[in-house]
Amino acid sequence: MSRIRYFARETWTNIRRNLTLTFAAILTVAVGVMLVGMGLMAGYASGNALDRWEGGVQFEVFLNPQIDPSQIDALGIELQTHPEIDRIEFFSAEEAYALVSQQMADQPELLAQVSPEALPASYRVVPRSVEAELIESLAAQFRQRPGVMSVQTGREEVDAIRTWFTSFQGIVLLLSIVLSGASVMLIFNSIRVAMFARRREIEVMKLVGATNSFIRFPFMLEGMLHGLAGGIIGAIAAGALRGHVEGLFSRSDILAFFRSFVVTSNQFTTVVFVTVIAGVLVGMIGSAFAASRFLDV
Amino acid sequence: MIRFDNVTKLYKGETRAVNGVTLNIEKGEFVFLVGPSGSGKSTMLRLMTCEEKVTAGDIHVAGKDLSKLNSWRVPYLRRNIGSVFQDFKLLPNKTVYQNVAFALEVIGRPENVIRTQVPAILELVGLEDKHRRFPDELSGGEQQRVSIARAFVNRPLILLADEPTGNLDPDTSQELTSLLDRINRTGTTVVMATHDRTIVDRMRRRVIALRHGELVRDEQRGAYGSETDSPEALGVHPVDGASP
Repeated sequence: MSRIRYFARETWTNIRRNLTLTFAAILTVAVGVMLVGMGLMAGYASGNALDRWEGGVQFEVFLNPQIDPSQIDALGIELQTHPEIDRIEFFSAEEAYALVSQQMADQPELLAQVSPEALPASYRVVPRSVEAELIESLAAQFRQRPGVMSVQTGREEVDAIRTWFTSFQGIVLLLSIVLSGASVMLIFNSIRVAMFARRREIEVMKLVGATNSFIRFPFMLEGMLHGLAGGIIGAIAAGALRGHVEGLFSRSDILAFFRSFVVTSNQFTTVVFVTVIAGVLVGMIGSAFAASRFLDV
Repeated sequence: MIRFDNVTKLYKGETRAVNGVTLNIEKGEFVFLVGPSGSGKSTMLRLMTCEEKVTAGDIHVAGKDLSKLNSWRVPYLRRNIGSVFQDFKLLPNKTVYQNVAFALEVIGRPENVIRTQVPAILELVGLEDKHRRFPDELSGGEQQRVSIARAFVNRPLILLADEPTGNLDPDTSQELTSLLDRINRTGTTVVMATHDRTIVDRMRRRVIALRHGELVRDEQRGAYGSETDSPEALGVHPVDGASP
């Protein structure tokens, strides 16, 4: 009991004595672990979105504008009777034009250059299976058919998005490593200052036979508290960021594509857990380093 | 209780602070360690508390072979040794009571022990009515008594005092020495390094004299002696070489 009171008292005195450095350390930890949380959430969001997308994937067979109507029907029958294909939907050139004019409603001069005849009609094909390899092989089969202009699968887009998210995560990870390093050094420094301020007490403690771990504990606790505070602030910031970004995606039509980029609440719990733990770890490493360096027998 | 076997301590591989010292101090002895500045007195004390490691030879303190002592056991050795210094080493932001209690607190003694031991020891050193004062409100002699209380509150087997009267006037020095004498009569081994000729001559206790890190005299009922303060031993002019 007297020990707990001793540690609480000593730690609190240290923190109070050293407020500016404490704040600097806590804020750096907060930003660093928030980036960790951000990277994690980006990973979850892209994973969720791409899963959903891959699950309902289709491919589209674009036809030559000059194609014979009988060829269109023949191709339609072939697609429909294919054992791997669930259902198909025909989009005529006029329908394609309607879609384009809708998308370009606020750019009439650009739309004026598009004529309905120049647009290809297409079949949208929903395969029975969602396996990427199967879809690719189906697409390849129809790519060679006469009258077919091109076949587009979602694969390239999915890959592009995945690549983009991976590099985004990489950058965020790199930044968070740099900031965590800076946090470790800041905590190291603030603990060193705290030890310097208490060097007389430390000297007396060694003199009367306090163990090293007993002398170190309040300083380690202080570093851990810095890390914990930073971790909690970082987690709150990550939560605010999540809310803001999801709000942005759901309100904007331009960003409608990103609507499926969400983080589930279970995943967010993991994010909070990881950011707080990361903060505590950073604090522990910084203070342990300082304590072991400046407290020899 | 304390045994030195052919102990040598070199600083930075050059200066010979202690050179081939062999001695034995029994339990309950009161020993004066005398000699001019730089003769190795403080180094001897620092070797006993493991603040310094020997270069050659063996030291046994309180039944422990210090050269074989793991560094994590050093604090436990120090709990058996009380230390008193010329500059007191009191914590200025703590009261007399807190300064003494601190020594028990940091070795994990329970609160009820602290509440009984600290007033008892403050009574022993005669400071029971000043336990709420801060060190800078006390005289030098009183501060040194607080420091002795702190060193002795855990009832160590050995009390080491490094020039404890160095900053004090002769009367106060005498009072402090008799306090150390009383502590010695409880069975505690006391080793006191000093320059104070008057005290050594009056006490008539064992005297170990050092010069240039070597043991030059060991007498059971000795006096300060002449070899320790001769100009030649001090290595300076007699005018400014005298000890306080």
